[in-house]
Amino acid sequence: MAHHEPEQLTETQLKYLRTERTKEMRIQMISFGLMIFLTFIAFALVALELDKNFIVPIVIGLAFIQVALQFYYFMHMKDKGHDFAKLLILTGLYFAIAFVVCFIMIVWIGNPI
Amino acid sequence: MAQVKGKKAGFGAVLWDYLTTVDHKKIAILYLIAGGFFFALGGIEAMLIRAQLAIPNNDFLSAGLFNEVITMHGTTMIFLAAMPLLFAFMNAVVPLQIGARDVAFPFLNSLGVWLFIFGGIFLNLSWFLGGAPDAGWTSYASLSIASPGHGIDFYAVGLQIAGAGTLISGINFATTIITMRAPGMTYMRMPLFTWTTLVAAILIVFAFPPLTIGVFLMIFDRMFGSNFFIVEAGGNTIIWEHLFWIFGHPEVYILILPAFGMFSEIFSVFSRKRLFGYSAMVFATVLIGFFGFMVWAHHMFTVGLGPTANAIFALATMAIAVPTGIKIFNWIATIWGGSIEFTTPMLYALAFIPSFVMGGVTGIMQAAAPADYQYHDSYFIVAHFHYVIVGGVVFALLAGLHFYWPIMTGTMLSEKLGKLEMVIFFIGFHCTFLIQHWLGLWGMPRRVFTYLDGQGYNAANMISSIGAALMAVAVIILLINIIKTLVKNEKVGRDPWGDGRTLEWSLPIPAPYYNFAQTPLIRGIDVLALEKEEGDGTIPSAGPVEPIHMPNNSFIPFMISLGLFIAGFGALYFASGKPWAIDAVADLPVRPWALYVLIAGLAITFISMGVRSWKDDLGYYITKEELEADLRELEARERGAN
Repeated sequence: MAHHEPEQLTETQLKYLRTERTKEMRIQMISFGLMIFLTFIAFALVALELDKNFIVPIVIGLAFIQVALQFYYFMHMKDKGHDFAKLLILTGLYFAIAFVVCFIMIVWIGNPI
Repeated sequence: MAQVKGKKAGFGAVLWDYLTTVDHKKIAILYLIAGGFFFALGGIEAMLIRAQLAIPNNDFLSAGLFNEVITMHGTTMIFLAAMPLLFAFMNAVVPLQIGARDVAFPFLNSLGVWLFIFGGIFLNLSWFLGGAPDAGWTSYASLSIASPGHGIDFYAVGLQIAGAGTLISGINFATTIITMRAPGMTYMRMPLFTWTTLVAAILIVFAFPPLTIGVFLMIFDRMFGSNFFIVEAGGNTIIWEHLFWIFGHPEVYILILPAFGMFSEIFSVFSRKRLFGYSAMVFATVLIGFFGFMVWAHHMFTVGLGPTANAIFALATMAIAVPTGIKIFNWIATIWGGSIEFTTPMLYALAFIPSFVMGGVTGIMQAAAPADYQYHDSYFIVAHFHYVIVGGVVFALLAGLHFYWPIMTGTMLSEKLGKLEMVIFFIGFHCTFLIQHWLGLWGMPRRVFTYLDGQGYNAANMISSIGAALMAVAVIILLINIIKTLVKNEKVGRDPWGDGRTLEWSLPIPAPYYNFAQTPLIRGIDVLALEKEEGDGTIPSAGPVEPIHMPNNSFIPFMISLGLFIAGFGALYFASGKPWAIDAVADLPVRPWALYVLIAGLAITFISMGVRSWKDDLGYYITKEELEADLRELEARERGAN
């Protein structure tokens, strides 16, 4: 493999890089705030002692939003060059959900359907 | 190797080289030797089974020993023979097909092969240490928790070690194919064997974790006092069946897809035509891989999932026949109008089409859930899966062995003996398994050690056993062929079949240890055929001769695997005679040393991993001068040969 020397950046490139990084940082902060807020909602729902059948689906829904935010903004799945990783993660998620649903339906509940 | 060029390396040096190698071409040889050895073991077990069943009321094998033999036959053939042999061809061919210098993680590649070898040895040591596993290769928990002695423990721990190696190799190949393709080698220009390897590697990544979990639960239940499958304590044995088949069904596609890939290459080379419907073939491969995960419960129709669940899984199963049918028609269209050459690999490929279709048709019959209640646990099932696995995978392995032998060893197997072997194997295979369809429909159950006289099974079983003997004769002919070829050692040159179409045939034989002196430039699909038609038959380079960065050899993978092998014995004997142990091992003598062996083994593994992590190994460079000298020498050699 050839060695890659660090290239000298021009003024414009440097400026562009800086704006990109600022933008990235802003997105990270926004999504971090959003995730704290989602967590707060989940805790609040439980603390208010609302009906169980009401809380569980909402918290699971919030969890999915959390996972998506994690993957896309913190783990850089939104960036270029992650197509294959995205495809595999989503396929894996689909399989995993299918298996869990199956285990709940035909092993845990156990009534033949 | 450049380092030992010109002098004969001693046996010790060669052995050390193979123990520490990270070169994918040498790892391929390791997989081939180890996989071939286990294939022979599994074959001997098959012969024992057929000898026992040849005549009614036979007492050649006792009932218990028969159970051990069938279990070890299935487990060995699937995990220790078919998969490693496929890995041998993937290692030998895939990096060359995509224009890579090696796989993405050479160290992990070596770790994968050593984990498999140690796992396989561990499993087979059960024969000498108190009896082999006897609950069938599926090892259903209701049987395996009750099985007395340590047999099942050998199955669980051995598969865990070998399975870790397979998972590592799967990750390695997926990464290699996604990231290490030469310039111009787009996804839709990849040869079909590379495509099927990619899909199979992804299937391994998704399918092996459920097996790992299932086997871990089994290990915890049998060796450490947990209750996942123990019904009296609130466990559920059906969980094992689901986990096993969530792995087990994709597993058969992990086996058959690379086989499809190899046949696609063979059809197009020996028909002198581009593969018909390339993009449809790729699409079908991906679709089969995807559907493969949605059908596992068709192995469990009689468990009592209920009619709706059965109907869903029946429908999904039948859907898989569509992409498979697309493939069959594309292969036929590839041969159609081609300039066909009947070499040994091509004969296997031609025999594969009708044989595999027969296995596929019985598969659809079983996919119909109500009908499956009749076939379940009968010889019909045995006939079906041997038709797809022998008629598909084993035919591909034998065809691939003849086809890729020059790339792996630099010599050519005798075509005369090869064709003889093919004909005998083909006849033996159909003789053994065709009649078993009827045996099943007549009511003979599978996994029984004998049957009574006068039930009408005598003649059919005898025919089946004669067929099995014929297959053994064919394998012996293959062995003679291999030994003769290796002793003669007549080296062949570039593109020995004369019609190579893909990048691996463009390399000199034997390929240099860095594969490509210059990175190749890929101008289209079937790149070598393209350059033969439009250019001078040489692959253009994508860049100048540059120093190449290479990984150093390492003994650490061997040590990591050895540590797990030793730890396995500690885990295995841990529960012996303990008061909390399951009934199966509670009466055995206590082994006070088991815990220390477990700790010592794990210590070896983790210390080896630590050495790998903390001691930098930056590899080395092959200089430009060395590369140019090699190129000059190669040119002189090839001019001399012409």
